[in-house]
Amino acid sequence: MSLLWEVAKLAMQRQLTYRAATLAGLLTNFFFGLLRAAVLVALFGTSQEVAGLTIQGAITYTGLTQAVIAYLSFFGWFEVMDSVYSGEIASALLKPMSYFSFWLGQDLGRALVNFTLRGLTIMGLYALVFDLTVPTHFSQWLALLATLILSWLVSFSWRFLVNLSAFWTPNARGIGRFAFGLTWVLSGFLMPLRFFPEWFIKLCNLTPFPSMINTVVEIYLGVLESHEVIQALLVQGLWVVILVVAAHLILRAGTHRLVIQGG
Amino acid sequence: MRSAFLTYFRLIAADIRSQLGYPVSFLLETAGAGLIISMYFISLALVFQRFDNIAGWTLGEVAFLYGLIEMGFGTMDMIFSGFDPQFFGQIVRRGGFDKILLRPQSLTLQVLGSSFVIRRLGRILQGVVIFLIALSMVEISWTPVKIIYLPVVFASLVCFFGGFFIIGSTITFWTVESIEVINILTYGGSEMMSYPMHIYQDWMRRFFTFIVPAIFLNYYPALYFLDKPALQELPYFAPFLSPIAGFGVLFFALRFWRFGIRHYQSTGT
Amino acid sequence: MSDMISATDLKKHFVLHRHRPGFIGAVRNLITREHRLIRAVDGVNFHIECGEFVGYLGPNGAGKSTTLKMLTGLLVPTSGELLVNGRVPWRERQVHVGEIGAVFGQRTTLWWDLPVIDSLELLRHIYHIPADRFRKNLQEFRDLLELDHFLHTPVRALSLGERMRADLCAALLHDPRLLFLDEPTIGLDVVAKERIRQFIRHINLERGTTILLTTHDISDVEKLCKRVMIIDRGRLLYDGLLDKLHQRFGGNRQLVVDFGEIYEDVHVDGAQVTEQVGTRVTYHFERGTVTASELIGRLSSRFRIRDLEVREPDVEDTIRRIYEEQLLVRG
Repeated sequence: MSLLWEVAKLAMQRQLTYRAATLAGLLTNFFFGLLRAAVLVALFGTSQEVAGLTIQGAITYTGLTQAVIAYLSFFGWFEVMDSVYSGEIASALLKPMSYFSFWLGQDLGRALVNFTLRGLTIMGLYALVFDLTVPTHFSQWLALLATLILSWLVSFSWRFLVNLSAFWTPNARGIGRFAFGLTWVLSGFLMPLRFFPEWFIKLCNLTPFPSMINTVVEIYLGVLESHEVIQALLVQGLWVVILVVAAHLILRAGTHRLVIQGG
Repeated sequence: MRSAFLTYFRLIAADIRSQLGYPVSFLLETAGAGLIISMYFISLALVFQRFDNIAGWTLGEVAFLYGLIEMGFGTMDMIFSGFDPQFFGQIVRRGGFDKILLRPQSLTLQVLGSSFVIRRLGRILQGVVIFLIALSMVEISWTPVKIIYLPVVFASLVCFFGGFFIIGSTITFWTVESIEVINILTYGGSEMMSYPMHIYQDWMRRFFTFIVPAIFLNYYPALYFLDKPALQELPYFAPFLSPIAGFGVLFFALRFWRFGIRHYQSTGT
Repeated sequence: MSDMISATDLKKHFVLHRHRPGFIGAVRNLITREHRLIRAVDGVNFHIECGEFVGYLGPNGAGKSTTLKMLTGLLVPTSGELLVNGRVPWRERQVHVGEIGAVFGQRTTLWWDLPVIDSLELLRHIYHIPADRFRKNLQEFRDLLELDHFLHTPVRALSLGERMRADLCAALLHDPRLLFLDEPTIGLDVVAKERIRQFIRHINLERGTTILLTTHDISDVEKLCKRVMIIDRGRLLYDGLLDKLHQRFGGNRQLVVDFGEIYEDVHVDGAQVTEQVGTRVTYHFERGTVTASELIGRLSSRFRIRDLEVREPDVEDTIRRIYEEQLLVRG
């Protein structure tokens, strides 16, 4: 555990050196947020509430989705596959911690820095421009904390899984781009899932993707009843378990293959 | 001059040959890129079921814009692959620009010739499909001028986006870290231009009229093609400024590119 | 003979940002940064004549590659004058680079995924090489560099030595008057190194191509160059014949003597005993103060000698001493 924290601390330190990148990322996220907000406001037109979402909620939604992009590495993350291709994985596998935890630690550090420097800052900027929805009850904040941590875990294990395809194919980057593109649509990142037809929402709910973005958004906006909140958190937790187990099994198969074929 | 262009085509042919050396990867990525674009459009179409229109524009009318922008951006992304800031930034960081400087040919043609990513065809094709869907959904009263002007708008769009790729690549001479800002202008620009511009706040629209003349390349021409009224009275020639805006941005970008090269030669990496 | 390269008071200074170490440092770097002026090349003067073969030496970060970048037109100097092949390199880049060749050992100029021959074809067009001259040169280099068995292999599949041979061929197809070689034998085995050295020597002698060679491998210099320039911290420490460098800074020569029996006192005037193992004694003596034959004379008059050997210090030793002990005063 302390080893995990050490890895995370090093990753944080590295993340902090990307000063210009952080600023650039902030500006980009903010700009796209404004764009999305304009589109949603135009779609709402004269309606005050659509599918249980107020216009204020919809604007807050655009801020939230932009705020978690960096936190969840939402635009793609290829580090593990790169290390498989470059052969660095061999030395990483010899380290006295599991390969999964090693990257979990790295990603934790990266996520913490980005949550603070990019996530919170984006929400701050948003608050300057818009009248935002803010959770009111202590229990809501508590649920928010839980869902944020769980969404990171779901996102990380999904990204890790996608990266593992590098063990079997030289085209992992293409697979990754496609998989992350899919995530954008099905997680409720492009549009709030509530706006889609019923059959589409059902389809999304069969996947882990809503547990990355949609759940966080709905808990923050307070559009769920308390039993629905608990249910949503349980679903997130379930996906964490499923994806982590899957990641371990596939990692084992992959390293086995690596050992037998010698890379 | 002629031999320079011949060299350019030889360079592109070489790059395409290397890409075709990995056929599985090529097919996967082409299909993937196209599929993602179509999913965005499908999700927009699905959400439209609930809203019916966006600030007075129907799905078909938005699809007209969307398809036009996708085709333009996709084509640019293919022709200007060498100037993709992400790609070019890596070239600079690895010292590859020195290799280009060491060859007795125009730098611009060499960079253009250094990469020609044919998997962008997936995106272009998707844009074409969306554009055709749009044409089937909206009745456009075609006139000879409209038919002639459509390819002009398309070419101007390619130049416009290409200009931003060049500006983005030039910035990587100073910093490779802040490429994301360029994404505001390229990817952000193309996304913003996929919607009718009157949905944006005044300051944004003004910015994209007077600072970055994007509005002349999507909104005004679209109003003309679709015979939609503008919110404010526009001069009659407003839809026809696309080539000036598009080529103007490209011209400015090339000037900045020369300036960037001089900076590179005085500091290296 | 005319000058191929003439550099007068050539300078190149950079501003560098410094990163503070540690976690607190990383946080502080977010806010402010320290700047530092780097004098990569700091007032260098030299002339190289047509047809010369010059070795350019120096430790890492001494200013070698910055000089090379200025000579090839990649970098504009901060101040000073530079004329290469009758031109100011960065002012007429296209013409200049069309008449020089460069090989950087770490990087290839060839197309990674293409067969070697396709890359060479592309270069033919890029350098506007007339077809018959291209054919003639290619034929010659194919023989000299033994390219035939990998001419149709993609560059990514070549061994380091093969790639270097292909790169040398690529750099010379357009008959450059001046060739820059940066670490051309790095990472190669002894046989491959020797083959490349022979080829380079051939190009210099037969074609009269002026060659500037930067390298870490002293044996490259010993085998190829008469003249060397040594740079450290942006300043030229030495510019002259390799032999003279030896004489001036070669330090102590050694005389190893195997005596007929063990003597108690083996001291002799003009030399120092540095090692004594049984009958075998090693003397160090300075060049100039005493010659080897004088020393041998003095020894043989007192002792019975079974065998002896004079050892010259090697270049690598000499150069290491120059860096480490700062034997040469700046300037």
